[in-house]
Amino acid sequence: MKKAFAVARWEYMEKIKSKAFLISLILMPIIMIGFGVLPTLLASQADTEPRIIGVIDATGQLFDALRSRVETRYKLPDGQPNYVLRLVGEREELEVAKKQADRLVVHGDLEGYLIIATTVFQDSVAEYRAKNVGNLRVVERFTATLRDIVFERRLQEAGVNPGLVTALRTKLELRTVKVTAKGIEEAGFEQVFFSAYLFMMMMFFLVATSGQLLVRSVVEEKANRVVEILVSSCSPTDLMAGKILGLSGLGLTQVSVWALIGVVISLKFGIALASLDVVLLLLIYLILGYLFYAAIFVAAGSPISTEQEAQQITSYLVLVLVLPLVLALSVLQNPESTMVKVLSLIPLLTPTMMAIRIPVLMPSTAEIVASILILAASTLVAMWAAGRIFRTAILAYGKRPSIGEIIRLLKTAN
Amino acid sequence: MLTAANLRKIFSTVVAVDDVSLSVERGQILGLIGPNGAGKTTTIRLILNIIRPDAGTILFDGVPFCESVANRTGYLPEERGLYRKSKLINTLVYLGTLKGMLPAEARRTALRWLERFELSQYADRKTEELSKGNQQKIQFTAAVMHDPKFVVLDEPFSGLDPVNQILLKEILMELRQQGKAIIFSTHVMEQAERLCERITLINKGKVVVDGSLAAVKKQYGRNTVRIEFDGDGSFLSTVSGVRSALVYENYAELDMGDGVGAAELLKMLVQRLSIRKFELVEPSLHSIFLDKVGGAPEGAGPQSAQGGVA
Repeated sequence: MKKAFAVARWEYMEKIKSKAFLISLILMPIIMIGFGVLPTLLASQADTEPRIIGVIDATGQLFDALRSRVETRYKLPDGQPNYVLRLVGEREELEVAKKQADRLVVHGDLEGYLIIATTVFQDSVAEYRAKNVGNLRVVERFTATLRDIVFERRLQEAGVNPGLVTALRTKLELRTVKVTAKGIEEAGFEQVFFSAYLFMMMMFFLVATSGQLLVRSVVEEKANRVVEILVSSCSPTDLMAGKILGLSGLGLTQVSVWALIGVVISLKFGIALASLDVVLLLLIYLILGYLFYAAIFVAAGSPISTEQEAQQITSYLVLVLVLPLVLALSVLQNPESTMVKVLSLIPLLTPTMMAIRIPVLMPSTAEIVASILILAASTLVAMWAAGRIFRTAILAYGKRPSIGEIIRLLKTAN
Repeated sequence: MLTAANLRKIFSTVVAVDDVSLSVERGQILGLIGPNGAGKTTTIRLILNIIRPDAGTILFDGVPFCESVANRTGYLPEERGLYRKSKLINTLVYLGTLKGMLPAEARRTALRWLERFELSQYADRKTEELSKGNQQKIQFTAAVMHDPKFVVLDEPFSGLDPVNQILLKEILMELRQQGKAIIFSTHVMEQAERLCERITLINKGKVVVDGSLAAVKKQYGRNTVRIEFDGDGSFLSTVSGVRSALVYENYAELDMGDGVGAAELLKMLVQRLSIRKFELVEPSLHSIFLDKVGGAPEGAGPQSAQGGVA
């Protein structure tokens, strides 16, 4: 066991100093934050110049109301109105006005234009034409404003005071409160999703990074033939244990740094994280799951002798890990479905499935015990098999053993 | 020190090592020789517990391989390689600790060896920055720095320039004097002849010749004549009474059958060649090797054993 620690120390110290590790340590959070923040940032970016929107008002009575409301409601950061409305046609021939407006749009004089037909009070339909109809914000804002105006006109016609209606009509807010055995806590969808997501990502990166390092370190030692010296110095079990230990240390270092960043961010934005018992439970899944995957990585990695093959095999394994990520949303919506329960018992998926489920809705004790037992048993079996394969396969250069040979390997008493 | 008896290893259908026995004592260098693919490397791997034999026993001072035995053995594999991106000194300290050394002790010893090989200035360099020959010296250091009792060196001289070959030879002599048991595997017969006290010749997985070098030579010590000459010596192998001959440009070794006198041969040769040197000797290891292995030229041996797990 002393030698396993020597191996672990070596793997940890050599890898932590490598440029690849430092780069991924820094780059990953940046990419993650980028993925999470950039799209919303881009989408919600304010305009810097007023946009000119044309209006063909066939009713002849809505333009002024629309203009004053849009200009007061939507301002640019510097206080100017965000949209400048231009009347491009009134009661005259609609087709002529449209043609003229189309030209203005094509020339870029107008961002787009609204067609308010006389029938708008009956069928509540208006039209927006523009080069870019994907600008959801413009569409959404004009829809809302026009709807309000048309609604008020209808109220007036019906003899109701629009001011009174506005005063009476208040928005209703649905507060979400999570009920647990210990009492209630306030937790919105975002909060629950965030902590589930955080744990899942941690699990994912821990396995992906240190699993990959594990395969590559085995492949490297085969390529440079150091493996012969190693195996004549310490037992393959020590070697394998040392590698798993050292590289999980590395993975944990990495994840701890990221988690720290995550905690700082969530504290800053006031997002509540999971409670201690949840964290401890998740930690059990994390460690067992990690060891299970590590064994699979070792078993898959030891018969391989080139970097390219290592890349291939690790990316397949990582794909399995991604599956629960894909399922995350539907699991969140229905954490008690039979399908989810069954998937949670498959050892490959258990850690990530539970990472999503536990913060959302604590599974029954029976389910937790069963899943931990299955995972632990599978981990033991996987470790044993990986040790077997590792022992023989690390010395097989060049040719990859077939499935049949691997089975034979597992059967022969060594 | 080491006794290996009746080792046998089969890779799928090929018998790589077939009933091989060998032994080496303290202060002795055993030459493990044989053509490529004869099973030398497989035998070494069996002895060092890198792979397990299908049959046979291996005992170190009467004890089977275990961790304390591993700590007392050193191994220079034929296929060299080190961690390319790691600092030399770190690599050596790591390999030393794997042999049970304490890190500080390993560092001290490693630095001493680097000094001896005049590589001290490279201690903090990465392995990949070193020349092949220097990498080999580092690897040799890794095999002996923990003061093992039993050392296996697989082709230790390959890739070294003459100066370093002499240095390595000196070190080997020292190791022998310190009472280490050494297995020296090679297919360069001249080296084995100069360094080894005992020889085990393996061919096609089987031991063909085994014993002290002197005894082996005596056993094959028929009438061997070594001559140096000028002129066309191509007829030498067809001279009557010559059992086998090694003929080079102006050097030849003739294995004379019994009953042919050296004087008679000399008389005949003088008429056809200008003889510079004529001596009656024991056969060289080289000619014994060729005799036993059936004259198979270097590199053309049966590729049986090393393909499997090599």
